[in-house]
Amino acid sequence: MAKTVDTRQSPRKVAGETRRIKIIRTLARKKWVHNVAGLVIKRMEKRGATEYRIAAIRAFADDLRSAYRKEKPCIYTSAFVPNELVYGLGGVPFLPEAASGFAAAFGFARESLSASESLWYPPDLCSFHRAGVGASVIGLAPQPDAVVVSSQLCDGGKRSLYQVSKAFDCPFYILDVPYTESPESLDRLARQIEEVAEGLEREVPGLSGDHMDEAIANSNSARSHYLDLCDLRRYIPSPWRGREALNYVVMFLWSWGSPWLTRFYKALKEHSESIIQQGEYPVKNERFRLAWSNLRPYYTTRLFDYLEDELGASIAFEEFSYMYWEPLDANDPYLSLAKKIMSNPGWGPIERRLEVIGKLVDEFSIDGVVQFAQWGCRQYNGAVSILSDYLRRKGIPFLSLAGDGVDERNSGEAQSLTRLGAFLELIESRDIRSSR
Amino acid sequence: MGIDVGSSVTKGVLLSDGNIVSTFMLPTGTELSITAEECIEGLLKDRGLTKKDVLYTVSTGYGRTQVKEADKTVTEITCHSRGAKALASGARLIIDIGGQDSKVIRLDEDGMVADFVMNDKCAAGTGRFLEVMAERLGVSLFDFGRMWKTAKRPANISSTCTVFAESEVISLLSAGIALDTIIRGLCDAVAERLLGMIHRVGLVPRVVMTGGVSKNEGVRLSLEKKLALKVTVPEMSQFAGAYGAAIIANESAVQR
Repeated sequence: MAKTVDTRQSPRKVAGETRRIKIIRTLARKKWVHNVAGLVIKRMEKRGATEYRIAAIRAFADDLRSAYRKEKPCIYTSAFVPNELVYGLGGVPFLPEAASGFAAAFGFARESLSASESLWYPPDLCSFHRAGVGASVIGLAPQPDAVVVSSQLCDGGKRSLYQVSKAFDCPFYILDVPYTESPESLDRLARQIEEVAEGLEREVPGLSGDHMDEAIANSNSARSHYLDLCDLRRYIPSPWRGREALNYVVMFLWSWGSPWLTRFYKALKEHSESIIQQGEYPVKNERFRLAWSNLRPYYTTRLFDYLEDELGASIAFEEFSYMYWEPLDANDPYLSLAKKIMSNPGWGPIERRLEVIGKLVDEFSIDGVVQFAQWGCRQYNGAVSILSDYLRRKGIPFLSLAGDGVDERNSGEAQSLTRLGAFLELIESRDIRSSR
Repeated sequence: MGIDVGSSVTKGVLLSDGNIVSTFMLPTGTELSITAEECIEGLLKDRGLTKKDVLYTVSTGYGRTQVKEADKTVTEITCHSRGAKALASGARLIIDIGGQDSKVIRLDEDGMVADFVMNDKCAAGTGRFLEVMAERLGVSLFDFGRMWKTAKRPANISSTCTVFAESEVISLLSAGIALDTIIRGLCDAVAERLLGMIHRVGLVPRVVMTGGVSKNEGVRLSLEKKLALKVTVPEMSQFAGAYGAAIIANESAVQR
């Protein structure tokens, strides 16, 4: 018999519970606040706000309302858990890692990070995890009814979200993703997903698998529009600003299976078509096309003004937005989701990731690749030399840009601007020589 | 004209028909744009010239956007590479150690930047690290070379953090370790910090040092020992960035 180990955490006061945080966490749970938000969104729509932005705002407003107001069960998931599973069970997903990006963008990262430091989280861990945990314990995030994590890609996601499940005394499930893909490993993973689904239905009131067909259909429909969008992004100049694309990676991580995602990608596709037709490209004098790997700083930064507006460099595509899975099969959802998880090129042998980056370089006419070397990101930063050598052999310049996506205390903007500027000067000097 | 506004020192180089006719240097201080103006004034006054005589100005360095007279800004990576190449023919690897950052730049066979790497985040391995240590030890930075040569061996300085290394150095002194041994250990610590950066971009001779710390003979000696290669320090090594900026300015003026 397994010995039971006491994993209770001692009660402690956490830092970060400032007055404004207390106000926000109270307001976030008030019905009238969500009603007002709904009215504001309607007004924005009437005033002709960009359709795809409205769709994204609505997607999050709906999910957050359901989560904060306990209208639907809220399931915390780590970044690479397929959320068709959660939508398919009638719940709403919440991604603490993605929420960290929001915290950074809206100025709440410091409190969230302070809270995580109170819980002994060393500051050399990834700030997306640290801020996500911190935001959960100070109540900025909605309370979870269960937590589901996958063992890929992130090193820190499993343990940090386990801690959250303990803090809220809710069920914790882990998908132990096999490293290499085979019929046996896929089947093993599919069985795990099925067990997690059954466990969630059993343990969390209000969840049921009746919505699975709908979630799969939503996902496939959104996927189709998404692929059209990717085709449009091959245009030169780029029809969509890279800084915005990196912001909307959150939709790519969060919303598959949601009823809103089709509307979002369809609207974005139509917006991009219109940009191309009218010739009103966001980076007017596009001189360089970059591929971007990993995430970006989500707090206010000059980096993208500098890149796009001063230097004329478009981020033509980003690695995190690569469509890596086939359409899902509603007749065998668990196997489909297993295939989706295992197809992620960031997991498994490094060759899979290199192949994808190589494809992006060719398909999007890339002049150089920038990897944002997120502080504490073991799986991406560990492969830098292999990636650098691979790109060098393809004749593509590569820059590893050290920084932090959430914790701005860890980043020097002036250093980053110099590195990016020097990188583009390097590319430019190659262009001048090759044109002679 | 090339103006390099560094974190510690601002340098200027004036060219006429492609030849250096004036150089000037002053501490950067806190008012970068005023310092840049003073540097320009210093360059021109020396030759009895005014701003109207300057055809094109390129600024570089940490404070490059603060140079009001600049027609163009270029990063110090490109400027140091152009300057070092002009100062030391055949330069392929440039090691620039400035006040608050250090960089390693590899040039290709055509002398253009092939790859580069800069230190991340902290002052370890930069001029500031050595300034703090020199002050603590009561030694002039200009004596580092002499003391390196008298030391029988380097002390092992394990900390890369400037603050922790300072504590470590005090402990070594208290333990009776000779000053020259500690000095050599500090030079080794800076060189050690650079080794990873050098091998990241690829070690290829001719190796040239630029920047303020290039004048620290002790650091050069430590680097040579660790690389098992001669390290060239041109006479005008501190002006490499400003010189490179001036070269680019000259080319731009000609194109105009």
